[in-house]
Amino acid sequence: MSAALRASGVELSFGATPALRGADLTIATGEIVAVMGPSGSGKSTLLHCLAGILVPDAGQILVDGQRIDTLSETRRSELRRDRFGFVFQFGQLVPELTAAENVALPLLLGGVRRKPALQQAREWFDRLGLEGLHGRRSGELSGGQAQRVALARALVGGPQVLFADEPTGALDSITGEQVMELLVSLARDRGTTVVLVTHEARVAAYADREVIVRDGRVTSFDTQEAAA
Amino acid sequence: MIRLGLRMAVAGGRAAVARLAIIGAAVAIGVGLVLAALAGTTAVQRQNAHYGWLNSAHAEAATGPSAADPAWWAFREDYFRGRSIARIDVAVTGPHAPVPPGLSALPGPGEYAVSPALAELLRTTPPDQLSERFPGRRTAVLGRDALASPDLLIAVVGRTPADVAGLRDATQLTRFVSVSPEHCLRCYVGTGINGMALILAVVVAALLFPLLIFIGVATRLSAARREQRLAAMRLVGATPRQVATLATIESMIAATAGTLLGFGLFLLLRPVLAHVPFTGLRFFLDDLELTWPAALLMLFGVPIGAALSARLALRRVRMSPLGVMRRVTPKPPRAWRLLPLIAGLAELTWFVGRKPYTTNGQTAAYLSGILVVMIGVVVAGPWVTMTGSRLLARLARRPAGVIAGRRLADDPRAGFRSISGLALALFVGSVATGVITSYVAERGDSAATPIIHNLMTVTSWSGHGQQPLDQASVPPSLTAVPGVRAVVLIRDNPQIDKNDPNSWPGLISCADLTRIPGSGHCSPGAAAAQVFPNLVPPYGGSVRGGSDPQWPPAPEVPLDRQAVIGVAVDTDGSPAALETSRTLLENAFPQVDGAASEGDIRDDSTRLLRQMQRLADIVIIASLVIAGCSLAVSITGGLNERKRPFAVLRLAGLRLSDLRGVVLLESAVPLLAVSAVAVAAGFVSAALFLKSQLGYELRPPGAGYYAVTGTGLLVSLALIASTMPLLRRLTGPASVRND
Ligand SMILES: Nc1ncnc2c1ncn2[C@@H]1O[C@H](COP(=O)(O)OP(=O)(O)OP(=O)(O)O)[C@@H](O)[C@H]1O
Ligand SMILES: [Mg+2]
Repeated sequence: MSAALRASGVELSFGATPALRGADLTIATGEIVAVMGPSGSGKSTLLHCLAGILVPDAGQILVDGQRIDTLSETRRSELRRDRFGFVFQFGQLVPELTAAENVALPLLLGGVRRKPALQQAREWFDRLGLEGLHGRRSGELSGGQAQRVALARALVGGPQVLFADEPTGALDSITGEQVMELLVSLARDRGTTVVLVTHEARVAAYADREVIVRDGRVTSFDTQEAAA
Repeated sequence: MIRLGLRMAVAGGRAAVARLAIIGAAVAIGVGLVLAALAGTTAVQRQNAHYGWLNSAHAEAATGPSAADPAWWAFREDYFRGRSIARIDVAVTGPHAPVPPGLSALPGPGEYAVSPALAELLRTTPPDQLSERFPGRRTAVLGRDALASPDLLIAVVGRTPADVAGLRDATQLTRFVSVSPEHCLRCYVGTGINGMALILAVVVAALLFPLLIFIGVATRLSAARREQRLAAMRLVGATPRQVATLATIESMIAATAGTLLGFGLFLLLRPVLAHVPFTGLRFFLDDLELTWPAALLMLFGVPIGAALSARLALRRVRMSPLGVMRRVTPKPPRAWRLLPLIAGLAELTWFVGRKPYTTNGQTAAYLSGILVVMIGVVVAGPWVTMTGSRLLARLARRPAGVIAGRRLADDPRAGFRSISGLALALFVGSVATGVITSYVAERGDSAATPIIHNLMTVTSWSGHGQQPLDQASVPPSLTAVPGVRAVVLIRDNPQIDKNDPNSWPGLISCADLTRIPGSGHCSPGAAAAQVFPNLVPPYGGSVRGGSDPQWPPAPEVPLDRQAVIGVAVDTDGSPAALETSRTLLENAFPQVDGAASEGDIRDDSTRLLRQMQRLADIVIIASLVIAGCSLAVSITGGLNERKRPFAVLRLAGLRLSDLRGVVLLESAVPLLAVSAVAVAAGFVSAALFLKSQLGYELRPPGAGYYAVTGTGLLVSLALIASTMPLLRRLTGPASVRND
C-alpha cells in the first residue's frame, strides 16, 4: 500500500516552546489513524503540520509522495481546499452563513457556481440526518448538529484525507458516538484516509491503528505496551 | 467570490450591520463635510472674482478691454443700519466710456444704478434716510456679473466730471479689472483667499479627525468575530488573496454607501450653506459648486482609499487558519511621542515678537502651528495614557486599580483610541475659547459707551491733505430731525504734536462736550479739550477712563477761529435719527468720507470675529458629539469582546463592583489624563497666539467654556457608567460557554 501522508523528522517550536521534536509518522491510503497522547504533547501541532496549516521548522511533510512544506501559502490553501477535509472541536462554521452555505463553502472557494454548489451541499443533509436544517445559522444548531454540518463540509469536496481534531470533544457521549459512527462509515465507504486526534479510548477504538504522541515525538502503541 | 463577500458583509448579524451602518454614516458625514469645504473654497474664489471690478481704482494689473474715453471714478464706503454700502461716483467723459460688469453702460449725470439688495432697501425705506443720498433717479439694477453676493449693497452714481473730480481719491480709468483682490495688495474689498482656505482647512481637520477616529473605532467593533470568521474560511482552503478580497469588499460596501450618502448630504445642505455668511456675506448658490476633478476624486478616492486601508490592515496581522497571529506585541510608547507637541508649541513661541507682516503670512504661521500642536496631542496621547496608567498601577490598593492599570499599560494605544476624539474636541475648544474670550475682553463691548452707537460724525482729515469743512454747509434741518439731541463742531488742533501720545487732532469746547453724554469730560479748569474727532478714544491710546474718559486740555488758541474738521450729531440711537442725519451730513459734505458712528466702523472688524466664534461653537459641539459616539461605541464594543475573560474573572471570585471599577478606570484614566494635556496645550497655544499676533494676555475663559467642557466630560463619564448594567448581564456565568 502507498503512503498517503508521511512526516519525517518534523520539528516545530512556538518561540522558546518546542512542540514537535522530530516526529515521524506514515499513514497509508484509506487508513484510519487515531493520534493519542497527553495534553500539550503536540498532537494538534502534528495534525496542523500534516495538513499544511503550519510549516515545520525542520523535517519534511509528504502528501502522495510530494513535499508540501516547501509550497507557498496559496498553494497549501488550494491543497486544503481540494484534497483535505477538516472537523475540529468547535467554532469552525462561519456564523454569517447558513448551514448549507457553510457546507458549500469549499466548493464556492474553488470556483464552483453557487447553484450547483448548494445543490451538492444539500445532498449531504439527508445523508447526515440533517433534514430541513440547511437554512439555519450556526448559532441555531445544537452541538451535535453543528459537528455533523462540519462533517458534511469536510466531505463535500470528496477529500483524500480527513483531519479531525477532537471532533467529539464538546459533545456528550451518545451524540459523540453518532458523529463518530457517521465519520468512520462515510470514510470507509469512500476510502478516505482519516487522521483523528482524540483523548478518548472509546473514540480511538473506531480507528485501524493508534499512535501516541509524547513530548513532541510519535511512538507506536505497541512499543509503549512493550516498554511498560 | 464577490457575491460571497457581499453576502457575508450584510448577513453578519446585528453587530456587523451596526458596524457597517456606523462606518457608512461616519463616512457620509466626513465626505459631506469635505465636499462642503471644497465647494466653499470655490465659492470664496468666485466671490472674490466678482469683487474685482470694485477695486478698479487700485488695480495694479488692469485686465479688462480698454476704452477710448476715460471715466471718473471715486469709491467710498457708506453705511446703512449696520450694513456697508459700496458707493461709486462715476462720470463719463465721452461716448466710448468703459462698461463695468453687470451694466450696459455707466450711468450719466442724474442717474444711478444699484444692486438688487440695495434696490429692495430703497423701496422699503423712507427717502430721507437713504435714497436722498443718491442724486437723480434710479435707471438700472446691477446684474449678476457685478455681484459677489446677493446681499451686497452697491450704488453706482452718475455725476458730472467736475463733481467727481472734486471727491476724495477720485481717479480716471479706461478699463475695469476682473482681477481678484488676492493679487492686489492695496485692494480693500474682498477676502484673503489663502486665509479663508486655511481657516476652512482647520475646521475640516478639527471635524475630520474625530470622524476618522470614529471610523477606526467602528472598524474594530466585533473585529474578533470577523477575524475568527476569516480564519475559519482559511481553514477550509480560502487563499490569503481570497480572504483579502472578502475584507476589501466589506470595507468598500460601507465606504461606497457612505460616499454616495455624503454627496446627498452635501446637495441637501448646499442651500443652507449658501446662507452661512462665512466671508461676511451670503454666497450665490451657483457659486457654491464642486469642480469636476474634486467631485470625481471624492467619488472614487474614498472607496478606493477604504479598500487600500483594509488591505494594509490585513497585512499587519497574519490571517492563519488557526486564528490571528499578531506580528508584534505592541511595544510601549516612547517619549519621542511628545516631540510633535513640543515642536508645535515651539513654533508658536518662536513667532512671539516675530509676527509676519502679511495677513496670509500670519495665518500660515499661526494656523500651521496650532495644527501641529493638535497632531501633537494625538501622537502624545498613548504615552500620556501609559504614564497615567503606570501611576495608577503603582498607587492602586484595590484589585480594580491594579488590573485596570496593568491592562492599560499593556496596550495604551487602545486605551487612548476611544477617548482621542474627546481630547481633540477639548483642544480645539480651548484654543478657540482662549482666543475669543481674550479678544472680546480687550476690544469688546465692555468699554462701550452710548456714543459708540449714538454719535454720527463726519470728519475731514486735514492731516491727510483734505480740505476743512465749510461751517455754513452744516444743514440747519439737522437739529429738527426727530431724535437728534445735539449738533456740535470739532475744530482743527493747530498745535498737534505727532510725537505726543496725548495730543489729539480735534478741539472741542467743554460746553459742547458736556452736551454729549458719554463723550467724557474736560481736564479740571480747562475751557476746551483735545479730542479724537469722533470723541471715542482709540484702542491702545493714552486716554483712559472707560465710559467717561478725561481728555487733555486744548492749547491756548481762539477756538472759534480754528477750521472745522468735524461735525458730530448726537442722537437717541434710533435708526431713523441715525440714518436721516447720515443722509443730511453726506449730502452736505460729499467731498469727504461718508458719515459714520464708531459702531459702524467697529462692526466691520468684529463681524468676522463673531462669525469665527459661531463657527468655533459649531465645531466644538459637533466634535464633542462625534467623540461621545466613538466613546460609547468603543466601550460597548470592548465589553463585548472581553466578556468571556471578564466572566471568568467573576467566576473566579472577582466581585462585580471590582469589575465595574476596572471598566470605569480603564476609560476614565486616559480620559482625564489626556484631557488635562489637551486643555493645557489648547490654552498655551491660545496664549502664544494672542501674545504674538495682538500683544494680548490670555484671559480666563467665561462660564460658558466651563459649562461646555464640564458637560462634555460629565456626559463621557456618564456614558462609561451607563455600560455598567450591561456589564452584569454580559459577564454572567452563561458567557463562559462558547457561542
Ligand atoms: N500558538 C501557540 N503558541 C505558543 N505555544 C503553543 C501554541 N500552540 C501550541 N503551543 C504549545 O505547543 C505544545 C503542543 O501543543 P498542542 O496544541 O499541539 O498540544 P496537544 O497535544 O494538542 O494538547 P491538547 O490535548 O491539550 O489539545 C504545548 O506545549 C503548547 O503549549
Ligand atoms: Mg490539541
